[in-house]
Amino acid sequence: MSHAPQAAFQVSQLTKVYNRGFRKEGVRALESLDLHVAPGEIFGLLGPNGAGKTTLVKILLGLVKPSGGTATLLGHSVSDARARERVGYLPENHRFPGFLTGGEMLQLYGQLAGVSHRDRQRRVPELLDLVSMGRWRDTRIKQYSKGMMQRVGIAQAMISDPDVIFLDEPTDGVDPVGRKDIRDILLHLNGLGKTVFINSHLLSEIEQVCTRVAIMNHGRLAKEGTVSGLTSEASNYRLRCGRIPASIVSDWRLVEDAAEETDDQRTYTAAELELDRLNTLIDILRANNVMISAVERDRQSLEDYFIQVVGRESTP
Amino acid sequence: MSRVLGMVWLTFREVWAKKITLGLFVVCTILWMLMAFALNLDIVEGSLTGVRLFGQDTGAPTETRQDEAGNSVTEALSLETFVVTIQAAVAGVGYWVATLLGLFAVAALLPSVLDRGHADVLFSKPMTRLSILSGHVLGVAAVGLLLASYLFGLIFLVMSLKTGYWNFRFLLSIPIVVSMLLVMYGVMVLLAVRTGSSALCLIVTYGLIVASLVFLGHEQLRAQINPPWRSVFVGLYHILPNFAEVTEPVAKLAGIDAVTRWYPYISSLIFGACMYVLAAISLVRRDF
Repeated sequence: MSHAPQAAFQVSQLTKVYNRGFRKEGVRALESLDLHVAPGEIFGLLGPNGAGKTTLVKILLGLVKPSGGTATLLGHSVSDARARERVGYLPENHRFPGFLTGGEMLQLYGQLAGVSHRDRQRRVPELLDLVSMGRWRDTRIKQYSKGMMQRVGIAQAMISDPDVIFLDEPTDGVDPVGRKDIRDILLHLNGLGKTVFINSHLLSEIEQVCTRVAIMNHGRLAKEGTVSGLTSEASNYRLRCGRIPASIVSDWRLVEDAAEETDDQRTYTAAELELDRLNTLIDILRANNVMISAVERDRQSLEDYFIQVVGRESTP
Repeated sequence: MSRVLGMVWLTFREVWAKKITLGLFVVCTILWMLMAFALNLDIVEGSLTGVRLFGQDTGAPTETRQDEAGNSVTEALSLETFVVTIQAAVAGVGYWVATLLGLFAVAALLPSVLDRGHADVLFSKPMTRLSILSGHVLGVAAVGLLLASYLFGLIFLVMSLKTGYWNFRFLLSIPIVVSMLLVMYGVMVLLAVRTGSSALCLIVTYGLIVASLVFLGHEQLRAQINPPWRSVFVGLYHILPNFAEVTEPVAKLAGIDAVTRWYPYISSLIFGACMYVLAAISLVRRDF
């Protein structure tokens, strides 16, 4: 907490190629990736399967060696074990030793993270209570449900009181109430000034907690920004107006909603229109004596935006 | 250091949780109980006058030697010679039992540590991979030491209390057994890092132990093999661990005779060290 790093982490021209033997061409998991995450953010990383999200996190945690570029975590090169001293991590498909109890597991990972015995004695019950697992402290992990494993896994990621926490699919297998609890924990951590980095397929979760998101595809950064910024980047607009000449409908790819048609009013949808283009359309309509009674923006969800970006990039 | 101790503790807990260790302790207990209850010695004024095995009198053990005139003389075996001879035989057998069972108990440990999901959490901690590997191997050494100390220590105690003759050289077998366990575990470590297969670890390691039986007769075999293959055979003899040949120094160390040939043990130690170096290089370079 006494650290004041310029970036929680930063990657520059980061490239990873997984070799597949001498004769086969390597798989390019990351391609000249640049990304900067500031301290105190809740940052969401999105992308389809194979986009390179997990590879990025694994490089930052020293689990995978980069093929090129640089990566720093809290000011240290990721190849330096000290970089991980103030970092917590919950991997996807984690497998904690089932023969340990939840309390023993936290004690063990705390010890491996360099937390003193005294601090562990204090933090283990605190964290178990925080993730609502206090009464399961002495139960073996192999008897836990998936949701309980996620909760205790989050506690494990927090055992060293880290400045940066990486969570890979933290709400995977958790029921809606549990997901709400986890969201609250993440917001609580963020309130304490922690940087939280989330990899998730559950876009609604990301949308609810993240201050900034990035979308990766084919190992590259496709988009990056705040949730509201990205979803309002190009929106759909609904226009309530008189009949629009067919040529304009065709040129602007307007879609008429027949269900809402009245004698003198029609409803049209203009898809993925930026604000300046919308104003141009309105000018054209007014020049053609089309009476406009309402213009409404259909705010996109993050999921719509994600599909739009990834779908567009995937189109040959 | 506390972090390395954490890995030692994890290894201990995993071995204990697998229940195999419990089985090993049962086997060791049966061995020393056999020694305690099946073997009865009649000792009169410090001399061995009779031996009973499972209650059957086998008579007083004797030894035959040449006198000054060159005649064969049979006389009663001294208590010390009897104890030391038995202990040398027990050390040789115990070396095989402890190592084979010990390797079986620990074969699945490293593949489990390197399993995705577990390795991700471990290697994301602020420890170098070498520290994690060192802690794990130290844990295995501690398990081996505990097992060997239990087996050899109790047999030593039983025989010493029964006979009143304390042959402390017998305890020298313990470090040799533990070090040979670690030599053979080095093969498992390398294979676990490279392949993650505990079955392969066991097959190859036990295969090398079987191969070392062939090398027991290396001098006779060398003379029988044609020149181009002779060099290969001799090369393999020097490169691979001489597990079977180490039985001799283990037994001699516990007995009366001095160990005349340490080469099999030293070459095995060098082999083990090479395995650990290769495993460490592979582990450091590997992506998880």
